[in-house]
Amino acid sequence: MASQSAASHLAPLLTAESDEDGGQRGLFRTAWDFSFRMALRYIKNSYKDDPFRTFLEVCLIGFIIWYMTKQKYNIGNNEIELSEKEIDELVDDWRPEPLVPELTDFERETLDKAALLDGPNGIKVRLASGNGKALLNFASYNFLGFIDNPDFEKRAIETLRKYGVGSCGPPGFYGTLDVHMELEKHLAAFVGHSAAILYSQAFTTILSVIPCFSKRGDIIVADEAVNFSLQQAIALSRSKVYWYKHNDMADLERVLKDVNKQLTGRRGKNALPRKFIVTEGLFHNTGDISPLKDLVELKHRYKFRIILDESLSFGVLGKRGAGLTDHFNVDPHEVDLLIGALSYAIGASGGFCCADKDLVEHQRLSGLGYCFSASMPGILAVAASDAIRALESNPEGHFSSMRENASLLQTLLRRIPGLQVEGALESPLMHIRLTPETLVRMKRSGGAWTKTDIDRVLAELVEEAQKDGVFLTRAMYVDEHERLLPNSSIRICVSCAHTRKDIEKCAHAIKNAVSRVTSKKR
Amino acid sequence: MGKGQRATQVFKSTEYIEQARDEDGLLLGSSNGGNGSNPFKLAPSNSGSLLALQEEEPSSKKAAASSSPPPLLQEERKKSELEAVPSLILVTTYLSFLMLIIFAHLRDFFGKLFYPENYVQLRVQNGLAPMVSDFESLWTRRLYGRIRDCFNRPITGVAGGHVSLLDRVSHDFNATFEFTGRVRSVLNLASYNYLGFAQSEGPCADKVEAAMAAHGLVAGSTRAEAGRSVLLAETEDMVARFVGSEAALIVSMGYATNALNIPALVGRGCLIVSDELNHSSLVSGARLSGAQIRVFRHNNTRDLEAVLRRSISQGQPRTHRPWKKILVVVEGLYSMEGEFCRLPEMLALRRRYGFYLFVDEAHSVGALGPRGRGICDHYGVDPREVDVLMGTFTKSFGAAGGYIAGSRALVDHLRLHSHSAVYAEAMSVPVLAQVGASMRMIMGEDRDHALEGQQRLDQLAINSRYFARRLAEMGFMTLGDAGSPVVPLLLFSPAKIPAFSRECLKRSVAVVVVSYPATPIITGRVRFCISASHTREDLDYALDQISEIGDLLMLKFHAGKEIEAKAKRED
Repeated sequence: MASQSAASHLAPLLTAESDEDGGQRGLFRTAWDFSFRMALRYIKNSYKDDPFRTFLEVCLIGFIIWYMTKQKYNIGNNEIELSEKEIDELVDDWRPEPLVPELTDFERETLDKAALLDGPNGIKVRLASGNGKALLNFASYNFLGFIDNPDFEKRAIETLRKYGVGSCGPPGFYGTLDVHMELEKHLAAFVGHSAAILYSQAFTTILSVIPCFSKRGDIIVADEAVNFSLQQAIALSRSKVYWYKHNDMADLERVLKDVNKQLTGRRGKNALPRKFIVTEGLFHNTGDISPLKDLVELKHRYKFRIILDESLSFGVLGKRGAGLTDHFNVDPHEVDLLIGALSYAIGASGGFCCADKDLVEHQRLSGLGYCFSASMPGILAVAASDAIRALESNPEGHFSSMRENASLLQTLLRRIPGLQVEGALESPLMHIRLTPETLVRMKRSGGAWTKTDIDRVLAELVEEAQKDGVFLTRAMYVDEHERLLPNSSIRICVSCAHTRKDIEKCAHAIKNAVSRVTSKKR
Repeated sequence: MGKGQRATQVFKSTEYIEQARDEDGLLLGSSNGGNGSNPFKLAPSNSGSLLALQEEEPSSKKAAASSSPPPLLQEERKKSELEAVPSLILVTTYLSFLMLIIFAHLRDFFGKLFYPENYVQLRVQNGLAPMVSDFESLWTRRLYGRIRDCFNRPITGVAGGHVSLLDRVSHDFNATFEFTGRVRSVLNLASYNYLGFAQSEGPCADKVEAAMAAHGLVAGSTRAEAGRSVLLAETEDMVARFVGSEAALIVSMGYATNALNIPALVGRGCLIVSDELNHSSLVSGARLSGAQIRVFRHNNTRDLEAVLRRSISQGQPRTHRPWKKILVVVEGLYSMEGEFCRLPEMLALRRRYGFYLFVDEAHSVGALGPRGRGICDHYGVDPREVDVLMGTFTKSFGAAGGYIAGSRALVDHLRLHSHSAVYAEAMSVPVLAQVGASMRMIMGEDRDHALEGQQRLDQLAINSRYFARRLAEMGFMTLGDAGSPVVPLLLFSPAKIPAFSRECLKRSVAVVVVSYPATPIITGRVRFCISASHTREDLDYALDQISEIGDLLMLKFHAGKEIEAKAKRED
């Protein structure tokens, strides 16, 4: 009933609507007619007034049509159209390489003979294979003897009882501990820079800092001999990179000039990219020291910034042990991004970056290793703080004996016939290798030495030294990924905790090992 | 009260014990910590809809029979979730962002006009380009800066079930913070402490202390040179046993585990096919490897298959040479979405297409599966079918760092060719000890605490399900799969993101809010991380507070629908 009445009630409305609909359609048609006529008249008039303009407009329309159709045929895309059946066949045919290649004989040997420490690391270590015999350790980065400092153990246990082990979150999400902030402040004050930020692994510090500031289109001028983490960081940044000869300031200047010359003509947004000089304080691969004063001068002259990796030099160089800036008495602010590690001399773990406050804050959001990984365990942060405090309270006690030991060992090693020593005199890290002449003499057939042959000889040398109670290691590299693979060597790290007798014993063991290895004809 | 004790409290709610009953009628708490008797596998692991869950509970036997979940369910559900977003919310969210960006530009414009000295670092000075470009920093200065108080909140002590926040205030709109010196204890729904192993006391901490006394503090070298110790080798063997692979390699940092190991697996001429929501460390690793990178839509196996078919049939770009290797990189549990990767389907594709599968178990290892062994355990697949199993110790184990596990050949190769093994510091002693102790406990090998590991696993599973279910019942829009310890709740509007975090803090609950760029711009969210160390009271308290905040911020988008659904069920 109700619906019926509603329908009848609606009837006149509906018809009225349809009428209105017709009216609208008419109105629409007139409007269309009108505008069409207007357009036609406009075209006619404009042609009459200015035929050239019409020609241009027609060309423009033609260009647009051409341009739009062109997009469909993407030049970069040379894909072949295949039927589903063909794709299936190709999928069936495809044979991938094995995920990892098989190990070579020498690699297998290296793995089997790799040192396995039983008990703590320190000045003296025991190997699992060594029947409990203690060896003098010249392989670990224990420059200041912090690794086997019994005072730290007590503190570590205290910290464990307050902070546990893991922080269970990245710094952004409740992973920032008060001890992290204290350590950051402490580091900035110790280095003498404005602010510092902590990362939980030394390698990743570098890998995060450089891509955080140097982006695609920016320019990096780097030393040829920089360590692998810097090479990777530079690759990850996707900046344009130029290399200069290792520690050669004349060559660096040439490159800087070249770069600036290339930029002179540039206009627009990319006219002035960020430009960085990237180098190391104490070179991991050579044991050399960068001439920081010259670098700073060049930086100002050619308007570059300096990114300095002080991973090894922090805690090692300088009167206070504050690194290269301390060593050369250069204002740390001259180094725009100063990267350090806590895993070497400091005997903890992780790394840090000292820079201006703004730049440090920027990293808290854009430094990938900071933002996207858990923060450092509290125990390690406290250990690092304590180590720096120990340095501050007694720098002389640590450095004088370390440097004495280093120069003594170098002098002794240089006397060994057939041995080449690389590294600056101040450096507690040095590389030794057999001289090319010795190698030639050793080869009976006079054939060429492959890298594996040399590595094998060095491995024997390490083994021989072990027999005399000295623990050494070859410097290991991922050969296929290094940009310029350094020559094979044994890397020796001297500690302040070594005694004069230890140093002499080490030199003696190496001397014996060299003579034993070289006398063997092969 | 020790935090470990808290973790062992099991809920007494009949409802959840019933849900946790397995086929033989064994009660959850009485299971002997071994394998097989896990109740949670019975519930359909892939059906996120709570309605479906409840309907299927009584017929759990039937569900158990079909152990692999129907693959389509999840996709359908997600579609409906996103379609259900009221268009009004979409429009207002976009408008809010537009307003924020307009105001950001306006403030920059006038700021540069009237206070040029504050913008010095953004201009060319002294012939040097600015370190951070104007546009790049706009987000940080003008948008992130407004809500900076919600992030990097410093804590002291252990990030356990409760955490001690250092109270701080800002007098200059978040430019700097001042500490008031007060410390407040808040409920922690933010840390990745899934199994409650973030502890400063208890059996694990005791073992760490003993290990430090015996082995010192750090390794002092890289793994490949002089940093390999008996402790490290033993822990590596245990990790391998835990995840069910032949061997494992330990790395001293989680981010580095991905960034420094992927380059040792693939290189030029290889292809990486990556989920679009993969973690930043995976992206860095892929970039460093030099391999080609292609992306497939998040957790969409159909799209993955399309990418694979195209890539394999076309070969390398330009030359059309066949690819040397193809590595598909996925995560086990996506930490921003709370979603599981669709492993069984990926493995089926792997059999067909012959690619290598890399699964990042950063969040899933320890937290998923009846025995806590991760995503493979969750689905009941053989871990040896996955070529590379990567995981971290930061989350479930209360430690730090990560591992790569797989075949012996893989791990032997990595020991000599992985950047982390050759160049980065080896894992420190306390972390190794913590990993060993917590793993032993989960595996039930710690004789004095044989049941505790399994109890923690069960507790986590109960807590996660309870929490997610209650949130959905309240009408919130949550994401993620059932049983995920990560429960994201959608906030959408940029104004609600800091508001939620601040309101929570006011009520003594610590939460993590995330927005663009960590998530798509529209779906800003709060992410709850559930832990075994949360008690029922903790969760109920949090839920009450969240419910209030939800009313305050009008977040219960599903409220009406839920009532309708309830009425229907009652019929």
